[in-house]
Amino acid sequence: MKTLKHILALVVLASVLLAACQPAAPAAPAAPAEQPSAAPAEKPTDIPAPTAAPTTDPNAVVPGGKIVIGTPQEPGVLNPLLQASSVEDWVSAMIIEGLVLVDPAGKYQPVLAKELPTATADGLTITWKLKEGVKFSDGSDFNCDDVKFTLDAVLSDASQASTSGYKDIETLTCVDPFTVEAKFTKVYAPYMRLFNFILPDNAGKLEDLDNWAFNRAPIGTGPWVLKEWKAGDQIILEKNASFREEGKPYLDSVIIKILPSRETGMQLLGTSEINVLWDLVESDFPALEKLADKNVGYAGAVTGENELLLLNFGVTDGSAPADATNAPHPILSDLKVREALQMATDKQAIVDALLSGNVKIGSTVLPAGDFACPQEPSVYDMEKAAALLDEAGWKMGSDNVREKDGVKMELKITSSSGNQLREQTEQVLQKMWEPLGVKLVIENVPSDTLFAGWSSGGLRKVGKFDILLYTTGPFGGDPDSHLFSNYHSLSIPSKDNEGSGSNYSRYSNPDVDAWLDEASATTDMAKRAELYCNVAGQINKDLPRIFLYERLLLSGYNKSLQNFQISPSFVDLSWETQNWWLKK
Amino acid sequence: MAEYLLRRFLQAVFTLLIISMIIFGLISAVPGGIMNAYEDNPDITKEDYARLRAKYGLDDPVPVRYVKWLGNLAQGDWGNSFVSKRPAIEEIGDRLPNTLLLMGVSLFFTLAIAIPLGIYSALKQYSVIDLVLTTLALAGQSLPVFWFGLLLIIVFSVSLQAPGGGPLLPGSGMRTPGEAFNLWDLIRHMILPVTMLSLVSAAGYMRYMRASMLEVIHKDYVRTARGKGLPENLVMTRHALRNALIPIITLVGLDLPYLFGGAIFTETIFAWPGIGRLFFDAALKTDYPVLMAVLMIFSALIIVSSVLVDLIYTAIDPRITLS
Repeated sequence: MKTLKHILALVVLASVLLAACQPAAPAAPAAPAEQPSAAPAEKPTDIPAPTAAPTTDPNAVVPGGKIVIGTPQEPGVLNPLLQASSVEDWVSAMIIEGLVLVDPAGKYQPVLAKELPTATADGLTITWKLKEGVKFSDGSDFNCDDVKFTLDAVLSDASQASTSGYKDIETLTCVDPFTVEAKFTKVYAPYMRLFNFILPDNAGKLEDLDNWAFNRAPIGTGPWVLKEWKAGDQIILEKNASFREEGKPYLDSVIIKILPSRETGMQLLGTSEINVLWDLVESDFPALEKLADKNVGYAGAVTGENELLLLNFGVTDGSAPADATNAPHPILSDLKVREALQMATDKQAIVDALLSGNVKIGSTVLPAGDFACPQEPSVYDMEKAAALLDEAGWKMGSDNVREKDGVKMELKITSSSGNQLREQTEQVLQKMWEPLGVKLVIENVPSDTLFAGWSSGGLRKVGKFDILLYTTGPFGGDPDSHLFSNYHSLSIPSKDNEGSGSNYSRYSNPDVDAWLDEASATTDMAKRAELYCNVAGQINKDLPRIFLYERLLLSGYNKSLQNFQISPSFVDLSWETQNWWLKK
Repeated sequence: MAEYLLRRFLQAVFTLLIISMIIFGLISAVPGGIMNAYEDNPDITKEDYARLRAKYGLDDPVPVRYVKWLGNLAQGDWGNSFVSKRPAIEEIGDRLPNTLLLMGVSLFFTLAIAIPLGIYSALKQYSVIDLVLTTLALAGQSLPVFWFGLLLIIVFSVSLQAPGGGPLLPGSGMRTPGEAFNLWDLIRHMILPVTMLSLVSAAGYMRYMRASMLEVIHKDYVRTARGKGLPENLVMTRHALRNALIPIITLVGLDLPYLFGGAIFTETIFAWPGIGRLFFDAALKTDYPVLMAVLMIFSALIIVSSVLVDLIYTAIDPRITLS
């Protein structure tokens, strides 16, 4: 997609120039601005325990100073109701807080709430207790009215925020200024994720949302206040003088600098011109290691996402069958074939060769957080894989490619073009599967083509692929919506459901459906965890997807910055930024 | 004259209309677009998705969207950016001064380098210096702009260190983050992008200047001036140079919009917060109100400058008439 857009940009520019009989611009590819493939993470690095009490020891907090965070992308708006990109999410999370957020361990923590919300036995009433004495940076008090306003705002017409869960709230009552009680029309299992941002009730008129001054000068309860935004250049945040924690934030200001690319950011990190570089990916590990002597390290968190192979159970002619058993994939619909492919995949070798061994191999759809469900990693065994294919009737042909009933075992693997790491992964897989008699053909497409929606005939939506290589998983806390949209049979995109859902494997298992339905009908966390774990186990038996490795959410930083942590959620590096300080 | 201007104006409007149709069609033909951000988010319900599509006006077929866009433009409304929600024209207004600054300074240095060197080269035709200069000019014209820019960054911002530590010259942005504005800081940030832009285009201008000067100094009126006994430097400045500059002025006029095109490369490479970078980002996000606004303004600039060049021609050369 990026290439396509480069070309488009150039073609359009050229056509304009030609229109005036001008020489066309040299058709040279400009340095691509890196798109952040939301990369996720483990490695709770060498983060010192928050040292709150100033004493005489060398680790005592030194307040003051400023830091610069580099980002290859610029936010458009800083209003959670309108945000649509990850850079907008974390920048606004420095200013705007929510009732409950996901901490660096992937667990829910109360932030503006006094404690985690509680549900009644029927799961239909949820109660939040709010912290008292909190003020917005404009001096107004934070209380239940702001929660109510936020609900109205999310459900208003111009809002672009997800209405999942919010739309099931029948009434929201302020029992007292600091107790919020919501009655739901039906159980909303992942209720913890609700109200992960709170807007002040004086933010603006809802029907005029797009024109709010707030959109580029947000007001929140967080540690920072936006002081200046130079478009295309930098955003300056200053400490919120009325922040609720005494003496915090420690730093005086945080500057967010827009950079041309991640590569430039790496250089600037090495020369200490920036303190933090947002959004690295696993393939940046070698470059990071080179900067180790410049006091540069990284912080990361396992996001719950996996780099994975998505196997298509249905036909690949683009007919998008709602039930793949009626129109099965000629090769991949056979479980034995899928098992053989996983057995012939040496995941550890991929991680070691391409990622310097810095990530864990994929073994479960739920690797982290409150609902983690570890599973036995798959076994790498070429002989067994070959035996399985023999058993399934796939005989080795004279050209070293297996065949059955005249069908060659030739599979296409597709990813978004231009991603070097994925291209390398595909080549490694090609080599790994060759001795098995599986011919893997690499056929990458621009990401816009791959990820396009149903109405524009996105090849993933209509099923025009054998194997896809990309990253997905339950990001940012609760797996409810991810598991439903990726593994429930109702989420198979087809004409019947107007192409909604992300179950691109066209995977259907009645047990999985039943567990997911049951889990989404209860607020009992322990029960839900058990049901999701059943699902995770069943997925590894049915193999609609082969998990290659766990993704990390990564940022590089100069280690003089203390208490720098990553939350595996939209908050990203903006976790408890009030505790950041610079060690000399 | 008035009739001529009216005719050119109507032509321009018609051309812009055609251009707008073509680019609108091209932008709409790109798969994906702004809605891709919501495509894979399991928390975005089907209803949310439909509401958002409608909000962005993407439900209408492309021709309908085009007519709506054109209708709004007729009333002076360029539309709001999909990304920032601000009026597209404000997004451009924020960045225009930065682009103008970079382009203006670059153009100044381009001409300051190209004109004297071109003249010198012409006057000492076939001398060693002339040969060196023309060879360098050819090499300069053949340099891919983006490659040259990256090379500058590698040499001056990565390899070479300032005496006090840190890179010799900053390779991105227009000021040091967190520092109050100061002129020296701005100049330091401008050195690399201006070098890239001016060296490459100076090469071209130098060749034009040389050719133009060579043509003029063999004209009869120059010989006459010499024959009258005028000192050589007066012959050159008063008679030769003035005439030789005419085609250069034309070229500068025609090249102005092209300079904005060059801004896309320069600003993307050096993270210069100008229109070029805005255009590039908008293209990546298919933010079509901003894309359309930038492109239409570029197109209008090109047309306006070609009309201006025609007018200047008639002013400086009485033999040409507008008809």
